[in-house]
Amino acid sequence: MRILVCIKQVPDSTVRVKVGADGKSVATDGITWAISPYDEYAMELALERKDADPSTVVSVVTVGPSRSRDALRQALAMGADDATLVTGAAAEAAGGIALGSALATVVREIGPDVVLVGRQASDDEQGLVGAALAHALGWPLLTNVERWTGDEIWRATEGGHEVWKATGPAVLSVQRSEKEPRYPSLPGIMKAKKKEIPEKDLASLDGGAAPSPSVVAMEPPPARGGGKIFKEGDVKQHAAAIAKALRDEAKVL
Amino acid sequence: MNVLVIVEKKDGEPRRVSLEIAAKAEELGTVTAVDVGGDRLDPGAAASALAERAKAADLVLVGATPFGRDLAARLAAALGRVYASEVADLEAEGDGLVAVRTMYAGKVRATVRLPLPAVASVRANAFPLPEGGAPPKTETVHAGGAQKGVEFVRFEAAKESGGRVPLTEARAIVSAGRGLKGPENWKMIEELADVLGAAIGASRAVTDAGWRPNEEQVGQTGKTVTPDLYVALGISGAIQHLAGMSGSKVIVAVNKDPDADIFKIADYGVVGDLFEFVPAFTEELKKVKKGA
Ligand SMILES: Cc1cc2nc3c(=O)[nH]c(=O)nc-3n(C[C@H](O)[C@H](O)[C@H](O)COP(=O)(O)OP(=O)(O)OC[C@H]3O[C@@H](n4cnc5c(N)ncnc54)[C@H](O)[C@@H]3O)c2cc1C
Ligand SMILES: Nc1ncnc2c1ncn2[C@@H]1O[C@H](COP(=O)(O)O)[C@@H](O)[C@H]1O
Repeated sequence: MRILVCIKQVPDSTVRVKVGADGKSVATDGITWAISPYDEYAMELALERKDADPSTVVSVVTVGPSRSRDALRQALAMGADDATLVTGAAAEAAGGIALGSALATVVREIGPDVVLVGRQASDDEQGLVGAALAHALGWPLLTNVERWTGDEIWRATEGGHEVWKATGPAVLSVQRSEKEPRYPSLPGIMKAKKKEIPEKDLASLDGGAAPSPSVVAMEPPPARGGGKIFKEGDVKQHAAAIAKALRDEAKVL
Repeated sequence: MNVLVIVEKKDGEPRRVSLEIAAKAEELGTVTAVDVGGDRLDPGAAASALAERAKAADLVLVGATPFGRDLAARLAAALGRVYASEVADLEAEGDGLVAVRTMYAGKVRATVRLPLPAVASVRANAFPLPEGGAPPKTETVHAGGAQKGVEFVRFEAAKESGGRVPLTEARAIVSAGRGLKGPENWKMIEELADVLGAAIGASRAVTDAGWRPNEEQVGQTGKTVTPDLYVALGISGAIQHLAGMSGSKVIVAVNKDPDADIFKIADYGVVGDLFEFVPAFTEELKKVKKGA
């Protein structure tokens, strides 16, 4: 079996993101980059298939600026077999639908049986690329995938889990893996360093023009804090005071 | 503008978020409301069934429930439309719309322009529910079966979530972290949640440890929630947890560590032992709710 995992490089989850000078993008200086969290889960699910059957080939692809090569290197170090970087002037600004069609071209070239994406990229938080890719390929899409054994695909739904089965190629959008995504091993890192990462020009893929939302302004979320914090004294009395305040002051009861 | 509102039903009733967006849609233009019939719907099949209707609309609005988000992205992809997910505000502007949504794991609030035609999924509690307003008249679109290429095998119900409001739509949430010490201590959390009519949330430390089901996780890799009241008990306030809940209207935090980051975003906080706080708080809330 061949699995392709689509990953995106995003600011690491611990980075304190700041709005840039233009007021409509984030300041990228000093940012530590990482694989988007849900894509790490997708990597883990793919690598578990490979653990179960070593003949499985796990490929990764990203569309992004040249720094995205580090995310691919990380994925190789985790255990992926090969990686493809799709880059070019439009790579950073491409919208979800255009990315879906561009990735579909890569899928046709690589020929995987299953494609994994993350539930959403932690930068744009759209959750669109998987749907766009599945549509461009004419493949079914299962979302919120949380477990993937040989023939069972588990989806998290409200109130429980749905178990599905794919009868042909499919796109799976991953919500989590049971195990934490693995860390690269030392031999993995050494091996990854030696691997070639071929590059493709985004403009040469069938991305096409697709409309997408344009950001007109960005700001930090409304400031919070300055709350009433009871630092000492009788906890039970504070509980009473807060219960009353929720009704009379905050009016949320 | 022609607005298509997709109403999601739960136990036969329209979900609150669907009513919220239907009311908002009335402000924006001429509304058509449809609901998709069928139990345990496949969002792929639902998207196919709705595509023709959606094509005729300038704007398609769907509540950002797990089902709704999935459906909305598929409709946008199938019709090649501008899409914005988890919108927290929406206004007409010129010949398009402007929407407010969070990006970068909740660390940025972005205003985005959506040229029409567009599709948006909208967060619960983004728009008020008009008092006494009649629910929209909906036409049912039938969406049976599944997408081609996949087959539904079975459903496994989660034991723990019985009867509570879904997290993403809850007006109140009681959320607990590693400070609870073990799964056996959730009885008092449930009692508190019962008094508040609240959903139960958890930190990832708790879901990872298997103390609570994954679907209760709040945060960057869990649910994003926007209740009126969020009570955080024994949660340190890691940046990834805050990503999912700092949009709550009022936050109450209890932690024995005075330096816990959760206090930086709390409206009310107690530095102290949650095992002492929770039973007392539950009793006080009962009194206060009775009008004391
Ligand atoms: C990529 C990534 C994604 C992540 N996504 C999420 C996510 O979606 N959601 C999430 O929650 N986390 C997420 N995390 C994990 C996050 O970083 C924290 O590890 C986690 O939130 C900690 O959970 P906690 O607050 O319950 O535990 P801890 O940090 O261990 O905090 C427990 C708190 O309980 C307090 N306490 C202990 N005993 C008592 C008592 N008797 N009374 C009162 N207070 C007490 C302690 O003072 C402490 O502050 C993510 C991490 C990464 C790297
Ligand atoms: N530039 C990209 N390159 C490769 N995969 C991507 C890219 N952007 C998004 N994806 C994949 O699509 C998922 C959803 O992204 P999004 O629709 O942007 O929220 C991500 O988790 C990735 O798996």
